[in-house]
Amino acid sequence: MATPITAGAVAGEYMETLVIVEWRVGVGDTVAEGDVLLTIETAKAAVDIEAPCAGVVSAIFAEADSEVPAAAVLCLIGTDSSDVDYDGGETPTVESGLSSAPATVAVAAGGAAEAPRAAVTSGRVLASPAARRAASSAGIDLRAVRASSPSGRIKLRDVAEASQRAPLFAVQAPVDLPADEHGPLKVHRSGTASGTPVFLIHGFASDSLSWYPLDRHLAKNHAVYRLDLPNHGASPKRQVGSFANLVREVREAFDALDLDGAHVIGHSLGGALALALADTRPRKVASLALFAPGGLGPRVNGDFIGGIARASRPGSLEAWLKVMVHDQKLIDPAFVNAAFAARADAELRAAQSHMGETLFADGTQSFDLAAALQRLECPTRIVWGRRDRVLDWRGALQAPGQVGLHLLPDVGHVPQLEAPDLSLGIVTALIKSV
Amino acid sequence: MTLMRYAEALNAALREEMQRDASVFLFGEDIGRYGGVFKVSKDLRDEFGDARVRDTPISEQALTAMAVTAAMSGTRPVLEIMYADFLPLSLDALVNQASVFTYLWEGQVDIPFVLRTQGGGGVGTGAQHAKSLDAMVCHIPGIKVVAPATPADAKGLLKSAIRDRQPVVFLEHKLLYNTRGEVPDGDEVLVPIGKAKTVVEGKHVSIFASSKMVIEAENAARLLAKDGIEAEVIDLRTLRPLDLDAIRQSIAKTNHAVVVNEGWTFCGYASELSATIMEHCFDDLDAPVARVAMPDMAIPYSEPLEMAVLPNAVKIAAAAKKALA
Repeated sequence: MATPITAGAVAGEYMETLVIVEWRVGVGDTVAEGDVLLTIETAKAAVDIEAPCAGVVSAIFAEADSEVPAAAVLCLIGTDSSDVDYDGGETPTVESGLSSAPATVAVAAGGAAEAPRAAVTSGRVLASPAARRAASSAGIDLRAVRASSPSGRIKLRDVAEASQRAPLFAVQAPVDLPADEHGPLKVHRSGTASGTPVFLIHGFASDSLSWYPLDRHLAKNHAVYRLDLPNHGASPKRQVGSFANLVREVREAFDALDLDGAHVIGHSLGGALALALADTRPRKVASLALFAPGGLGPRVNGDFIGGIARASRPGSLEAWLKVMVHDQKLIDPAFVNAAFAARADAELRAAQSHMGETLFADGTQSFDLAAALQRLECPTRIVWGRRDRVLDWRGALQAPGQVGLHLLPDVGHVPQLEAPDLSLGIVTALIKSV
Repeated sequence: MTLMRYAEALNAALREEMQRDASVFLFGEDIGRYGGVFKVSKDLRDEFGDARVRDTPISEQALTAMAVTAAMSGTRPVLEIMYADFLPLSLDALVNQASVFTYLWEGQVDIPFVLRTQGGGGVGTGAQHAKSLDAMVCHIPGIKVVAPATPADAKGLLKSAIRDRQPVVFLEHKLLYNTRGEVPDGDEVLVPIGKAKTVVEGKHVSIFASSKMVIEAENAARLLAKDGIEAEVIDLRTLRPLDLDAIRQSIAKTNHAVVVNEGWTFCGYASELSATIMEHCFDDLDAPVARVAMPDMAIPYSEPLEMAVLPNAVKIAAAAKKALA
């Protein structure tokens, strides 16, 4: 006969429920009288529950972080691990339908040491929707993925981990270039209706979400327009053929907004496009902020362009994301997952790869905007990281004297992500100066 | 910016809108001579007279019907129902009149009135004076429902509500009236209805809350931060219409959602939010949406018992950790 363990008087007579904070033992563990079994959270404080007798933990009825009725049996201490009979144990006292009823959960012995393989119920693998989507786009079989969650459900992090271990031969079938889609480029609008407009152009293999560190602040005082380039974000997939065609598409999207005196901000390829836009619409552009802009020299990291556009798994994407920044800690699993989720569409990756080959054939930038830089009429700043491994920051040195240069030490290709406060300060000062 | 209490911010909004628009008038129990039991209408009767700040007998049903018809006849009434617990007495006027008249008369009438009330527990006022019946009013199409958490939002949203063409139920919380916060100066600073606000940024789990639960959610984020978990707290501000874009954007980033509401769990506002997230963000979810709400029971009169059953920061943090496990 096993001894049922409850919170007893510790729970306090006025408490309906308590929260289990942490289990200190697992099923099968031998305990001595006075050993701490678990920690619970009462209305007042966290309290340790000790073993009233020696024995073996034969069952655990509630998982950590769950809320259970104050009187619930939390675990059993038996003579051995099969001793699970106890007084009141025959008829479960669980009231069905009440949210506070404890779920009876069999916690595997030594659960922390060995992650359970994904629970499979009637032939179906338990996985979160996000994990399913990530696995499907990465071509990973969920049956081979271990679930690290106590819920037994495969989560995003498990798929990300598995994709890094996936054997090389499990590559996906190459995806054909999708048929050209029609329709205007997507422009995301946010911010105030009245403030001076800000127009943002992202870089290659990125999308309008990459402006998050800047746009949420700019939106407080400005009407913010974030463009998605063709084959990126929510814009149509279609092949642009040349840089000049791409400039025309961007200009059409810009003209359609009918903005007067917009502050234009571009990053990388978007920087080159912003420069080209200012060159052809000088009266419509009030100021120009170029973050690591393209078009100021022939060199570009061709491996990066090809690699990031092609990356079909979180693991390979992570490697290229780390090339973009100097501080490697910025590329944490959450960042990789978010970036990968945005690139889960295989057709989008195929379309971007092709676009990359068009614009950056032979690892060379097919467009030169050095002359446009000399012709600029509006106040302009160039922000560039001296640790940029995608484009050479020395391209900025061609700028004429009236263009302000901010060459940031220990920053890579994405100043707005790596030095967000400084980047925002530069942009804000530029806008104010107009 | 001016440092104001929540009640003072509401008072300022009422005063400014009454000065701006002569058709705005107030009525309710004890709001005139006494200035309202929570002092929201303090001194307004002295300034605007008893024709525009009217004390009424106790009949929520008659008062709400009166607000509807006054709104139809070209005024902009602001009705105070002293306790949200008595919203059920107002329901016929909301469900069968205010929300449908514009439709029944093919758009020939607007119903621009505001029903202000306050709910919520935490001060031992028992089962009839501490409820959060958000879901009951949010269930009605054609009624907007807002529930601000800060003095700035209280002022900006009340001004927007008074100017709105549709009926707006304005939910306050008795424990917020004395909270202080910076309020932007200026008679034309409005907070739009239907826009949520990110009050804490994070990347691991999104916590959606409104009214006083925003403070609990912010405290939960602090608790979680001690364990290295970066929670994002979204103040919904408007309960209906819902700011779906803000919800989508946050979950696309965090993949985990905890929804918090002080009302009952079953068929509650948290349930609606949970179902909406499931429909619109399913593929972004890495764990089931967690609800933190009031258990399905009467609110105990005993304060310790009341504290045990109300949603709080510890319960929110526990739900977030479970989702992330």
